[in-house]
Amino acid sequence: MSTSHRHRTRRRLAATAVSVLAAVSLAACGSGGSSGSSGTSAAGGTQDGKPVPGGRLKIAFWSDFQSCIDPNQVYWIESRSIDRNVADSLTDQDPKTGKIVPWLATSWTVSPDATSYTFNLRKDVTFSDGTKFDATAVKTAYDGLHDLGAKSTLGLTYLAGYKSTTVVDPYTVKVDFATPNAAFLQASSTTTTAILSPATYKETPEARCAGKIIGSGEFTLDSYSAGKSVKLTKRAGYAWPSSLIANKGAAYLDGIDVSYIAEDNVRVGSLTNGTIDIAWPRQPITSADQQVIKASGATIQTRALPGIIGLLIPNVTAGRPLADLQVRKALYKALDLTSYAKTVYWDGYPVAKSSVTSTTPYAVDQSAKLVYDPAGAGKLLDAAGWALGSDGYRHKDGKKLTLSYLTNAAGPGDQLVQDQLKKVGIDYQIKVVTAAQLTPTGNAGDWDLSGGYLTRADPSVLGSSLDQAVSKQYTAKYSQDPATAAKISALFAKGLSTADPTQRAAAYKDLQDALIDNGVAFPLYDRLQTAGVSGKVHGFAWTSESFLRANDIWLSK
Amino acid sequence: MPRYLAGRVAQALLVLWAAYTVTFIILNVLPSDPITLQLSAGGADVSQLTPAQLHDLKAHYGLDDPIVVQYFHHLWRALHFDFGMSLTQNVSVGSLITDKLPSTIALTAVAIGVVLVLGLGIAFLATYVQWRPARVLLARLPAVGVSLPQFFVGLLLIQVFSFSLTWLPATGTHGWRSLVLPAITLGLPPSAMLAQLLTRSLNDTWREPYITTARAKGLSRWTIQVRHALRNASLPALTLLGVLVGYTVVNAVVVETVFSRNGIGQLAQQAVLGQDVPVVQAIVLIAAALFVVVNLLVDLLYSLLDPRVARAGRAA
Repeated sequence: MSTSHRHRTRRRLAATAVSVLAAVSLAACGSGGSSGSSGTSAAGGTQDGKPVPGGRLKIAFWSDFQSCIDPNQVYWIESRSIDRNVADSLTDQDPKTGKIVPWLATSWTVSPDATSYTFNLRKDVTFSDGTKFDATAVKTAYDGLHDLGAKSTLGLTYLAGYKSTTVVDPYTVKVDFATPNAAFLQASSTTTTAILSPATYKETPEARCAGKIIGSGEFTLDSYSAGKSVKLTKRAGYAWPSSLIANKGAAYLDGIDVSYIAEDNVRVGSLTNGTIDIAWPRQPITSADQQVIKASGATIQTRALPGIIGLLIPNVTAGRPLADLQVRKALYKALDLTSYAKTVYWDGYPVAKSSVTSTTPYAVDQSAKLVYDPAGAGKLLDAAGWALGSDGYRHKDGKKLTLSYLTNAAGPGDQLVQDQLKKVGIDYQIKVVTAAQLTPTGNAGDWDLSGGYLTRADPSVLGSSLDQAVSKQYTAKYSQDPATAAKISALFAKGLSTADPTQRAAAYKDLQDALIDNGVAFPLYDRLQTAGVSGKVHGFAWTSESFLRANDIWLSK
Repeated sequence: MPRYLAGRVAQALLVLWAAYTVTFIILNVLPSDPITLQLSAGGADVSQLTPAQLHDLKAHYGLDDPIVVQYFHHLWRALHFDFGMSLTQNVSVGSLITDKLPSTIALTAVAIGVVLVLGLGIAFLATYVQWRPARVLLARLPAVGVSLPQFFVGLLLIQVFSFSLTWLPATGTHGWRSLVLPAITLGLPPSAMLAQLLTRSLNDTWREPYITTARAKGLSRWTIQVRHALRNASLPALTLLGVLVGYTVVNAVVVETVFSRNGIGQLAQQAVLGQDVPVVQAIVLIAAALFVVVNLLVDLLYSLLDPRVARAGRAA
């Protein structure tokens, strides 16, 4: 190493040290809150100049756990974000209002009992293999999705009660359900019901998962190597975006390169040094990392994910502590949701207010029922016979008040709950099992609380975890005694049985009330999707389900 | 020598068969049902299936045969390098392995290079240099190397060389530049172990009577170190090196996670957590094969370096 070189290196190290210090002091001055706007926000938006075509967007996710890219089969959020830009759906959903708007379908009618949907289709759409999009293609796709059965976790509930799809004429298609499914109109806007080319449905489900999919989106899938990389190329001649998109033609980007970086600080570092343009984690970016990202000139984009909020779900089997409604009521009072949001995330992070997140249509603020009141919790537990012992925990008939929490990935939030519950004398045990063992252990029922969340911009999504009438999941099975389950299932059915928004709103308000009044679900934390977006990325936008929408994105040189 | 070789190869095959069989037994004795796992990996639940659907799925994965039939069926296919379909990843195990093995092999090969250079270098200097403080410092160095956690070293290297100096990439598997940092991270602890052992063994050798003879003949320190001491002291180090090669493959998982390299280590971790039986089995077999081959090579080198070994083998 020559002397001058060594000097240069030293200067560079010094410069780095200064910038790190600057970031730290910024963090100290900053409010620690999240920046960026919600909804169809743009990082600077298209307002700050005329879009320049060209360039490849490099985006890094944290993991590709499901190892599948077929939009009809994936539930994994990151894969759905990619799929949104490869495959189109019949309708789209406005992220600001939750309203369903035209996309591949120009208009539609829904029967009042929500059992029959008729869609009129666009006539100018083709799949990337050249096949024409028409009513037969829709039928092939919906039948194909239905045939996937349990292989499509989300499809199972999105098409609940599916009877048939009928080709009325080449550009009109009718979807019939045996039982009312009022949530289907929203389902028709999701990646899960994306319409793929008829050729796709001749492939096996495994081959589709591994990348044999053809859509009509503004990008085509070039290659997919599970957990390693995804490459998308712009589709020339694309001209059928939904009305929510500013760019009516082909994408500005030449393509998108996806990689997976598991370590948070490597992902953040790669964004700040320009190796990637978007860092997209699952857990919200920590406030410290946000300061580092902002100091580098990048922005933080934030949107609350719609769907089931981060929940604790009880096991009310007779003989277990949570079988007693009074103990469950005490649990609501013992959980300090405000300090959970502040401690685990940051000051200003939204506090959980209901069983669904704030961006879910028909969400109702339930915070009056979720007030932190440790003294009240103590009183309820005393009345229920759980007396405080000398060890700081409560006992009844010689048994300690122990609640075991089943999870496959314990985080700081779980320890915080442990600490909060200890204050009222509850012994909260965190039981960690491997991913493979989670479902068998859950089915065995030897636990008191388990967790759950799921993304979908419709409150009916709660049914997949909590409605015994449709879900066989252990969370549904153990969280309600037969009498409560009858009440809850009736409310779920009511929400699905009418297409009228006012009646649906009333049904889902009653449902959200009932879930808390009966101690069926314990809201714990709201779910935010955050992304660190480089300053050279313009036109960044979220879909209503908080996925990436790349139509309007362009890169400044 | 041919007879010695044939014996060793037969022994190696036996080890491979035993490794395969033991894994098969362990994985099939575990209290979980592959179908439940397959479905829960997809987020679904076995209780949602009708008995007919369940039967079809079991037939699809060949899980409805008696366990002994399954064992011979799988063994026969494994002999043809066919490990079946992954239960969680929708592709054949063979294509998963061929997709991920090259990057891990490249990483391990470079890491072994790092181990040889660092391990030999430090031990050589620690026993050759005569200035006492330097000797002490060099002799203490391996203890530091062994006690540094790999993920910490990896993140530190990324912070300095990727994010601050921007000399080398922090992630990816493209080109030799992306191999440098992970290989150093992976090679550091084993090279420290090698250096520690070799230093000790060189020090012992320097006290042997034949070294005194060599000195009395007027040979230089350099000649004695290179020609006499190193050759004799390298035997135990060679044995350790054989073990360390296996160790680097096993430890690749941490390095692959930190440097976002999608290799065999990460695959092994996913497969174990997801109880993806066919993948686990293939990886165990690969790891066992690697161990067996490297140790065979070490044993053969042994007999070259020390003719007494081969002679003893023949006498027995």
